[in-house]
Amino acid sequence: MTQEDKKIEVKGSNLVRRNFFLRMLGIGTACAGTWVGSGNLVARAQSAETAAAAAPKIPDYDWNKHKWAFGVDATRCIGCLRCVEACKAENGVTQDAHHFRTWVERYVYLEGDERAHVDSQSDAQNIAASGSEKEFRFDNRYKDAKVEKAFFVPKLCNHCTHPACVQVCPTGATYQTKDGVVLIDHSYCIGCQYCVQACPYGVREFNHVMGVTDKCTWCYHRITKGLQPACVEVCPVEARVFGDRNDPQSPISAFLRNNRVSVLKPETGNAPNVFYVGIDKEVC
Amino acid sequence: MIGTMAQAAPYVGYVYPNETDIPWSVLIVIYPYITGLVAGAFIVSSLFHVFGMAQYKPVARFALLTAVSFMFFVPMPLLLHLGNPQRAFNAVLTPHWTSAMAAFSYVAGFYISLLLLEIWFAFRADIVALSKTTQGPLGTVYRLMTLGSDDVSPRALALDHKFATVLAMIGIPAAGGLHGYVGFLFGSVKAREWWSSDLMPIIFLLSAIVSGIGLLIVLYVVYSRIRKVPVDQACMKGLARTMWAFLLVVLVIEGLELLEMFYKRLEGIDMVQRLIEGPIRYGMMIQWGGSLIVLALLTVLIVFRVEGKALVRGLVISGVGMMIAVLAMRWNVVIGGQELSKTMKGLLVYYPEILSHEGLVAVAIVFTCPFVVLWLITRFLSPWEPEPS
Amino acid sequence: MPKHIARLLLLVVVLATAALTAKHYFTDKSYYAYGHYRGDSVAEIASDVPRFRGNEYCKTCHAKQYDSWLESKHNQPVIGKHVKCEVCHGPVGQHPSTAQAPLSVDERIALGSKAPVAEGPTGGKLPLPKDRTKCIQCHEAMPGRPAAQRQVVLAAHAGTEQCTVCHDPHSPKINFASLAKAPQGNAAAGKVLAATCAACHGAAGASVNPAWPNLAGQHAGYLINALQAFKSGMRTNAMMSGMAAGLSDADIINVAAYFSQASCKTAGADRAIALLGKSKAASCALCHGANGVSPSPAWPSLAGQNPDYLSDTLKSFQDGTRNHPVMTSIAKTLSADDVAQLTAYYASTSCK
Repeated sequence: MTQEDKKIEVKGSNLVRRNFFLRMLGIGTACAGTWVGSGNLVARAQSAETAAAAAPKIPDYDWNKHKWAFGVDATRCIGCLRCVEACKAENGVTQDAHHFRTWVERYVYLEGDERAHVDSQSDAQNIAASGSEKEFRFDNRYKDAKVEKAFFVPKLCNHCTHPACVQVCPTGATYQTKDGVVLIDHSYCIGCQYCVQACPYGVREFNHVMGVTDKCTWCYHRITKGLQPACVEVCPVEARVFGDRNDPQSPISAFLRNNRVSVLKPETGNAPNVFYVGIDKEVC
Repeated sequence: MIGTMAQAAPYVGYVYPNETDIPWSVLIVIYPYITGLVAGAFIVSSLFHVFGMAQYKPVARFALLTAVSFMFFVPMPLLLHLGNPQRAFNAVLTPHWTSAMAAFSYVAGFYISLLLLEIWFAFRADIVALSKTTQGPLGTVYRLMTLGSDDVSPRALALDHKFATVLAMIGIPAAGGLHGYVGFLFGSVKAREWWSSDLMPIIFLLSAIVSGIGLLIVLYVVYSRIRKVPVDQACMKGLARTMWAFLLVVLVIEGLELLEMFYKRLEGIDMVQRLIEGPIRYGMMIQWGGSLIVLALLTVLIVFRVEGKALVRGLVISGVGMMIAVLAMRWNVVIGGQELSKTMKGLLVYYPEILSHEGLVAVAIVFTCPFVVLWLITRFLSPWEPEPS
Repeated sequence: MPKHIARLLLLVVVLATAALTAKHYFTDKSYYAYGHYRGDSVAEIASDVPRFRGNEYCKTCHAKQYDSWLESKHNQPVIGKHVKCEVCHGPVGQHPSTAQAPLSVDERIALGSKAPVAEGPTGGKLPLPKDRTKCIQCHEAMPGRPAAQRQVVLAAHAGTEQCTVCHDPHSPKINFASLAKAPQGNAAAGKVLAATCAACHGAAGASVNPAWPNLAGQHAGYLINALQAFKSGMRTNAMMSGMAAGLSDADIINVAAYFSQASCKTAGADRAIALLGKSKAASCALCHGANGVSPSPAWPSLAGQNPDYLSDTLKSFQDGTRNHPVMTSIAKTLSADDVAQLTAYYASTSCK
């Protein structure tokens, strides 16, 4: 709670002394903040005033009116990897097999096997099949095997409600926006990669040319212009669903209404905002 | 210096595609290692300055200089590792306090200031004396360091002593905090199975102290050889006992941690086992084998009341052994944690580079610097008592 | 207080003040505007230029392709399937003729969604591979793909033939009615020429030997293709190569017209074996029709054909004496029993 909030709370009260006491407390806190060497508390008090009124200068877009979320229907995914290539093209992600904002995993249970065989497009055999680290495809290694069950699972940043990556960022270069997207300020990131360590989902990758961490933004530059994220735009089978939870008519609201969804690694307490249908115990 | 990634780490099983680019290199192995040496050296000096244990007097001031020499180079591996080192001050300008790392600059800055102040108080009489006898630019430096006061009256020196004691008392929790903080940095990462442990800070702190004592023993013996003076036996015996005690506690806690992990057999324990048997096999052998051998050696030295040259030799071996064992422990934690995939379905193998700015050569240079600086500082301010002639 | 302590405290205060001043001076002005981050960065990130622009953008220039796609199997929103232009063609923002003045971040923030996209005038082409790699990204039969996804085992479905030979990617379902018709020949003129053929293929196109094909009722297009292949040497046969060499292009069209209009006769075969063959005919049906009557004028109908001729043909594909991009690989998947059963099935289906 900030000074200003406190002031508002006691507004109308004629307990002048209490008001005075709170003000002194506020000033004391502010001084302490300055002393600690941050000045954060003062600045935060100011920011709380301005944030409600003003939103970032994004034309025709108000972040107070949206709450974005993402759905993945793994039962529909065909593993064509158009999303992976589209994401790299749209966002200028490093063109190799070790840096992805989104990727697709393949889970295959062979007859009699307890555990699934897992691979992604980065797997050496799949890279050999595509012939390049710039194009991606799954090879057909299981075509003659006795497959009991198999499915594809697209992965991307979960834009968690309690993001561990934001928690550990020492500078505030990565943060959560009001509309529920976790972004990285590439001009402020020092490149310590602590956030890469902290993400339980491995969605953060390091851009060695820029010296900064990079990850999925749900194509913030698209969704703020009324477009879909690139991966959703190119998914030919609607395995990826995106939308605004504030709008009951949006695809994601319908997706969440009509399906029994799960999230990845709920035990981490990150509270992901990418919701899955059709995954099973082996999905990590 | 910024460029393409190191060679992608090979792996078995399934790892997330981005994991093949290992985030923290061997530089981050020696960062907690150097920090640990600082904490250990400082604790020894505190044994004299705070707890008044007279047998540590011969090394007390030397320990302070050792601590500060290594402390100067604690930020170095971190800066070398950053993708944008020129922005490092962003963490100071706008520290994000929910991040353990944001505290680094403040904790380290505070600790360096503390060490410098304590050294200043401990050496002030020497500085005043040197400022009067030294000519040339060096003399100017001494005179600047006196802050224009040559008050070495008994009253003033008594006050200095009080300040030094208070600073050392603050320094103990600060040293604990500095290194406990490094442990927290790793222990708080819930995404990494091998790091995420409540015991991490305490393990880091205690092993730091053991390695710091080891370093101090080695340096003290080497400097004594150079100065051609006998090694103080009482001091050595005391160091042997201190090291033995801390080492025993470290081993018990680390052992308990492993025991609990394997007793609970939580999901993913198979992969942890494969990590220990696989990528960090040799690291674990050096860490545990080295520690146990040193523990046995120290026990022999203490139980059989070994003295003289044999004690010195035994302690130097123990000191070197502990420094290697703790370095291996840092590797096992920092690198091992990243070799265990977050999928818990695969293992990666990290191979350090040689020549790049994150390679072994850089590490060797970073680790050599404190020794050089220590040598220069001891020339500038001699920590040794004047020899009785 | 001794002088050195006082001076030390002064030094500490001076340094601390300098540090705090520097911190205040260097902290970005928009920091803390919305939280613990640089407030301006939100709009900066949002100002990035999209590269994928969606169908409506492509439509403005490529209306014809768009229209054919709109009604196609590649656009079935009801079942959640839309293979939009950029799925295969890649982002419009990579249109190679792009020549736009780069805008600064501030300019892009000001323009927002009105900011020009990476695009260019006509003339640039999005790279699309000429081989089959695009199609199989989605349509290669692969464990893990949902059953609802249309998938083919490539070797059995198309051999080494290109997908685009039969399918239009914009509207992939083959529309046989719209295929080019075989040139109209003069059946009467053809009948005169057919006297030469009658020795083997029968006067009315019903073969005198089960090892030779019936021609009656066969698609004229296919007959033209076959004769042209013999004539050019692409296909060889001791008898036919010489025969075809003596025919002009007009002759070929006329004789094909004659046989295609002739009344056919079903060869017939053992019913039990034929039923076994029917159960295996699904992949043949894709091109040769469910009952052996090919939907395309370019592909042969098999209905009522002589079983010996059919099995000889399949064997010639198997041993390589005859080659076809599709049939060679399909024939190689068939066992001797398969061949016997399939040929029996087609021999017994009605050619009418």
